[in-house]
Amino acid sequence: MAFGKFLLRGLWSKKARSIGLTLAIAFAVMTVVTLEVTSSGLEQAAAAVITVGKADFTVAQKGTSDLLSSSVDHSELERLRAVPGVKQAIGVLVATERINAANPVFIEIGINPADLAGFGVTVVAGHPFAPTATDQVMLGWRAAANLGLKVGDRFHADGTWNTITGIYSTGNSFGDAAAMFPLPAVQGYNRLPGIVTLAFVKVDPGANVTAVARRVDHELPELTTIRTASQFGRADRNLVYLRAAVTGSTILAVAIGAVIVGNTMLLSLFERTRELGLLRAVGWTRRRVVGLLVGESLVLAIIGAGVGVGLSFGVTAVLERLPALTGILHANYTTGAFIRALATAVAMTILGSLYPSVRAALLVPLRALSYD
Amino acid sequence: MPSGSADAAAGPGGPRPPAVELRDVVKAYDQGFRALDGVDLRIERGEFVAINGPSGCGKSTMLHLVAALDTPTAGAVLVDGSDLRTVADLSAYRRNHVGLVFQLHNLLAHQPVLANVELVMFGTPRNAHERRERALDLLGQVDLAGREHRLPGQLSGGERQRVAIARALANDPELLLADEPTGSLDSVSAGHVLELFQAVHAGGVTVLLVTHDHGIAAAADRIIEMRDGRIVDGAPGGGAADAVPAVGPA
Ligand SMILES: Nc1ncnc2c1ncn2[C@@H]1O[C@H](COP(=O)(O)OP(=O)(O)OP(=O)(O)O)[C@@H](O)[C@H]1O
Ligand SMILES: [Mg+2]
Repeated sequence: MAFGKFLLRGLWSKKARSIGLTLAIAFAVMTVVTLEVTSSGLEQAAAAVITVGKADFTVAQKGTSDLLSSSVDHSELERLRAVPGVKQAIGVLVATERINAANPVFIEIGINPADLAGFGVTVVAGHPFAPTATDQVMLGWRAAANLGLKVGDRFHADGTWNTITGIYSTGNSFGDAAAMFPLPAVQGYNRLPGIVTLAFVKVDPGANVTAVARRVDHELPELTTIRTASQFGRADRNLVYLRAAVTGSTILAVAIGAVIVGNTMLLSLFERTRELGLLRAVGWTRRRVVGLLVGESLVLAIIGAGVGVGLSFGVTAVLERLPALTGILHANYTTGAFIRALATAVAMTILGSLYPSVRAALLVPLRALSYD
Repeated sequence: MPSGSADAAAGPGGPRPPAVELRDVVKAYDQGFRALDGVDLRIERGEFVAINGPSGCGKSTMLHLVAALDTPTAGAVLVDGSDLRTVADLSAYRRNHVGLVFQLHNLLAHQPVLANVELVMFGTPRNAHERRERALDLLGQVDLAGREHRLPGQLSGGERQRVAIARALANDPELLLADEPTGSLDSVSAGHVLELFQAVHAGGVTVLLVTHDHGIAAAADRIIEMRDGRIVDGAPGGGAADAVPAVGPA
């Protein structure tokens, strides 16, 4: 018989304890994975703003609490355009507004119609709005589909009723679920004359993107450049806090899980004293006894990780449907989330079984044999 | 064989050392109580020795010292000429050199008979297939063929002891140690178990058997009588009997 089969049979014979431990591990894994996928979903949604414009990099105000409160004024935009290597810098104002319960954070982008092509926008129906109109809007095709609106319909947003002049596509799901307005109209409604949120930069053909971005960082120290979604934290401190909270919660979940695993194993050690003592008496090494206990925990850890991920799918599905979170929370299941699930479960069980295993290894076989 | 330093008396080519030797062994517990109080004993290879004596006289204590499950307070325990204090890997000693049978609680209740025999062979050169073959062979020898997939709870007491004996023999020990192996059995079952010990002994294994039962003891080559932590009869040189009246040898 293989050692593994011996081990599995031992687990199977103590079903109640095995199931209890598996559930403890599963709940910790569920917590960690749910936090991870929902926070990375939030992060993705926020970071998606910078992926809408087809730019080499995005420029925002340095050190704002969240990206949408970034403020870049007209003179900064001009200085940005003057940096060698910068071919174009399109300034857009991004705001959010509650449209209805299903769209609590609808994205509104103020942009000059002349910049639409450079921003990567294709008008798929109707035509663009006029540069200075105050009651015209274009909807992304996803937003139009979600809201059931078409060209010529009226749409209440940005403080007024607007006529839909066209439907656009950006090829980016986030941008396609938004609306675009003439830049002055959004600036006026948000009382931010001359201000844009972000500048989307394209570099001269053949220029080194990294070098140009570095030059911008150097010449405009009050601004910061963002090239990838992962650099997003540079301009969005809320996300930094969010990540810290997730890391903290993960550590807490692992610690609580480890304590439960450790406690259960210690308790079971009393009832297993005779079993382990007998094994030691007939020649099992300390290492093999530890191997048995840690091996048992690892099997439960792997099962617990699987169950935990399954529970997490269920929990996020429920969370996404909560009225308070609809349209805000998007689960983002990545390979990393699954790896994290397994790592959490394994870390928890290794930590939790460390002390009980040492206790088991130090068990005096004789004491164990006379244990009644 | 234990891998410790050989005793001076057992030089290469010289006479082989005794299978077990106790030299002035003392086992004292916390309040100074001596469970063993100066025991000298020599058991030759291939001997079948029974240890007899009233409850609490130190029989189990002595057996545990030989099995390296406990250490003496003073004196030395030598197995095959090696002082157990110098044996580096006592797990290997217990696994390979000795076979152990207890009165009760020999088996893991949640593992079937076959696994209970196989479990002593983990960490030996035998692979999974060989472990299984060996266990099946031994279970056949103790007349338990066909019961290998039962749980211990589904066997009689005598059958359980036979499983324990099969397990004790799995790694071909040179020394079989048994502590009241028939203590919980009726006389018929006890008789079966005794026959097994005799067969093992006939195969050249040194057997050291603790028993209350004079009938069982009578089957041994030699009976050692103990009282109050001392050997009162059957020890080399006429025993260490002092004031205690000796029971006549079998
Ligand atoms: N851990 C211990 N602490 C203190 N005293 C002990 C301990 N273990 C055993 N003893 C004592 O040592 C003495 C010898 O015990 P041992 O188990 O060797 O007796 P025994 O001859 O095997 O008796 P029995 O026939 O009842 O099994 C007993 O008086 C017992 O109470
Ligand atoms: Mg005893």
